[in-house]
Amino acid sequence: MKFSATKEKLLEGLQQVQNVVSTRTTLPILSNVLLQASDGTVHLTTTDLDVGVRGSFEANVEKEGATTLPARRLFNIVRELPASEIRIDVDGKNAASIRSGQSFFKILGLPEEEFPPLPKFEDAKVVPIRQKDLRDGLRKTSYAISTDETRYVLNGLLFSMKENKLALVATDGRRLAMVDIELEIPRSQEADIIVPTKAVTELQRLLIEDGDVKVSVASGQIAFDFNKTLLVSKLIEGNYPNYKQVIPAEAKERVTLERETFLNSLRRVSLLASEKSNSIKLNFSKNNIDITANTPEVGEAKESLPVQYKGRDFSIAFNPEFLMAPLRNLTEDEVFLDLIDEMSPGVLKIQTPFLYVLMPMRISS
Amino acid sequence: MDDKCTQLWQKLSAALKPQVSADTFKRWFSAVELVGATDETLSFRVPNNIYQYWIESNHMTALQAAVLSAFGEPRDIKFICSESAVEDMEPIGVSKESDSRRDRKPTSNSSFGLNPRNTFESFVVGPNNEIAHAASLAVAQAPARTYNPLFIYGGVGLGKTHLMQAIGQYVLAKRKNTRVIYLSSEVFINEFIDAIQHNTLVKFRKRYRQADLLCIDDIQFLAGKERSQEEFFHTFNTLFDGHKQIVLSCDRPASEIANLEQRLVSRFEWGLTAELQPPAIETRLAILRKKALGMQIKLSDEVFEFLASRIRSNVRRLEGALMRVASFASLSGKQLTQEVIERLLKDILQEEARTSITIEQIQRKVAEHFDVRLADMTSKRRPASIAFPRQVAMYLARELTKSSLNEIGDAFGGRDHGTVLHAYKLVKKRMKEQDSVRQTISFIDSSLQR
Repeated sequence: MKFSATKEKLLEGLQQVQNVVSTRTTLPILSNVLLQASDGTVHLTTTDLDVGVRGSFEANVEKEGATTLPARRLFNIVRELPASEIRIDVDGKNAASIRSGQSFFKILGLPEEEFPPLPKFEDAKVVPIRQKDLRDGLRKTSYAISTDETRYVLNGLLFSMKENKLALVATDGRRLAMVDIELEIPRSQEADIIVPTKAVTELQRLLIEDGDVKVSVASGQIAFDFNKTLLVSKLIEGNYPNYKQVIPAEAKERVTLERETFLNSLRRVSLLASEKSNSIKLNFSKNNIDITANTPEVGEAKESLPVQYKGRDFSIAFNPEFLMAPLRNLTEDEVFLDLIDEMSPGVLKIQTPFLYVLMPMRISS
Repeated sequence: MDDKCTQLWQKLSAALKPQVSADTFKRWFSAVELVGATDETLSFRVPNNIYQYWIESNHMTALQAAVLSAFGEPRDIKFICSESAVEDMEPIGVSKESDSRRDRKPTSNSSFGLNPRNTFESFVVGPNNEIAHAASLAVAQAPARTYNPLFIYGGVGLGKTHLMQAIGQYVLAKRKNTRVIYLSSEVFINEFIDAIQHNTLVKFRKRYRQADLLCIDDIQFLAGKERSQEEFFHTFNTLFDGHKQIVLSCDRPASEIANLEQRLVSRFEWGLTAELQPPAIETRLAILRKKALGMQIKLSDEVFEFLASRIRSNVRRLEGALMRVASFASLSGKQLTQEVIERLLKDILQEEARTSITIEQIQRKVAEHFDVRLADMTSKRRPASIAFPRQVAMYLARELTKSSLNEIGDAFGGRDHGTVLHAYKLVKKRMKEQDSVRQTISFIDSSLQR
């Protein structure tokens, strides 16, 4: 295999697929990137056997062929190469000579036959989603995905495709984030699938603002096809819990908040929350919130915030990080906090279909 | 819910309501049913797993406080989820209990070489194996995060394979696509040799080094096989460094395996070593009853007690004896008297008698108990701190073995038979006079009889 390409294009291609390679692999071939050169394009594929990514870049292909090379090493070399034009020549024994300007590198690879192929999605029906919508939806929910390995069903994002709506749901047992995206879904493709966290993170990194992503599901795998990238992932097997049960029926009080100001106040006050007393208290009174944090033996913090609130006086405490996470990932100026009482969950909402249910912490008297 | 549970649940609900808000109770606890209550555990059935996750994450302290106030002491809390479709708005209870999933797919599990009957549920726990059992459960619940590697050793028929396979089944049931490999070390060695011959080492290594859970039975067969040990060493390292769980079983502690490379011995001892000991009579009874219940065999209490008292050395033999007796009873319809059973199990009972208590065992146990050396049993030293234990051992030898006074004397350093008789009488008298002596001796006696 022999091809040449610009450093920018090669680097961009490698960056697309790098992240999926895991640092501690049991199989050496998994730390390699598969390069397939043909017809003016070089395709790059990496996988960790759960998630795989395939990207490509334009190149001047002199001789077609394929091989696998150590991904990290190749990336580091290309990044440091001096000139803009890079020529790569791979011999029959999978040794790649990389030339650029006055620099010469030779690295040894493994044969392409050993590389595990990405699953095929022939005959799978495709559902197109606007990249902007999906990316936005992922951003609004992915922080709430559980990291507790004993509850493996929650270690991913639920894609619930029903009734012409794609609901993205993430929960870890203490809070739940949900976004609805309007989507045309044929009845035969209605499904509930769970996409693992790693795939969700990669998607967030790779999706852009324009265009569509074509989503297909087949036998325990999901494929996202967009731009020049294909991301394939195993799905988490299991039944996602009935998340609707978590959502409180009615609110008793509703507070309107300026998102950024609220977030900044929370950030400041939570400086005085510690691991041991990891809670901040919100004291509601007419058109005002007092946000307080208190760590015994360390100190306390308090901030007052004017808000739109006409309900009764009451207090509720939350885990500061759990309260700040959605605020950080929303872009709207205004958010609504629906509350019932200090022992019931609060719900954060915005104008568009989104909600975030958060359990309060006990206020020790 | 049956009546007892209904009552208990009412009591518990009353204690719980003040701990949580009315909304919370209505939303999360009104659909909960109490289906089982023992002295240690309360089992709750919930419509689906969101209940379990949400209650566990948010309301456990409240629930446990309610348990404490309603029952006076804490209990373990377990949730059973009835499977239901995700779309249901109303929590609909009952179709299958998810506990049964562990037994539901024998075909797919047995393709891993796992006998579907070897699960944690079918394992009878007693003082002889509770550490090994607890360790195995911990490993199954959080592989590679508790004890890695887990080294289980014990004699024949005591449950090593059962525990290892239970771990495998549990892990597979929880996460279907975990790569569980269970095999005997002999199979490992044979496959390794095969791989060398057919030049398929890459495939061999890929298979074993990609496992999430590797269970190897009877690791002692690696003794003396240098190349296999080296291969296993590399496999072990790869898995261990990749944070994958390794479970090993052996018929003896790692340090006692002859011709095993020191670096392997030290790796085996790296994690937790748990011993499986022969069960005591109570545990043996429990095993028999559980097995009988599972196979719907009805036998009289005396039969169980006879079997439990006479067959002490290993569980496999115990279960085999049970099967024989049960099938005889059902096939012949004859009455089961002690004579009949003795005749039926003649060969097993003979085996057992051969492994009955030896004088050396008595000497060891007594020496251990009184904190003297084994050599002191046979030495000529007279101080009471050594002489008395020696006399106790002679007493027990007379009581528990069929050896003559002369034989016992010989076993204690060539002493006269009269010495033994004197010791016997003396100890007997002391037992009558001092309660503490009687207790000590009966303790040693029962620990030998185990």
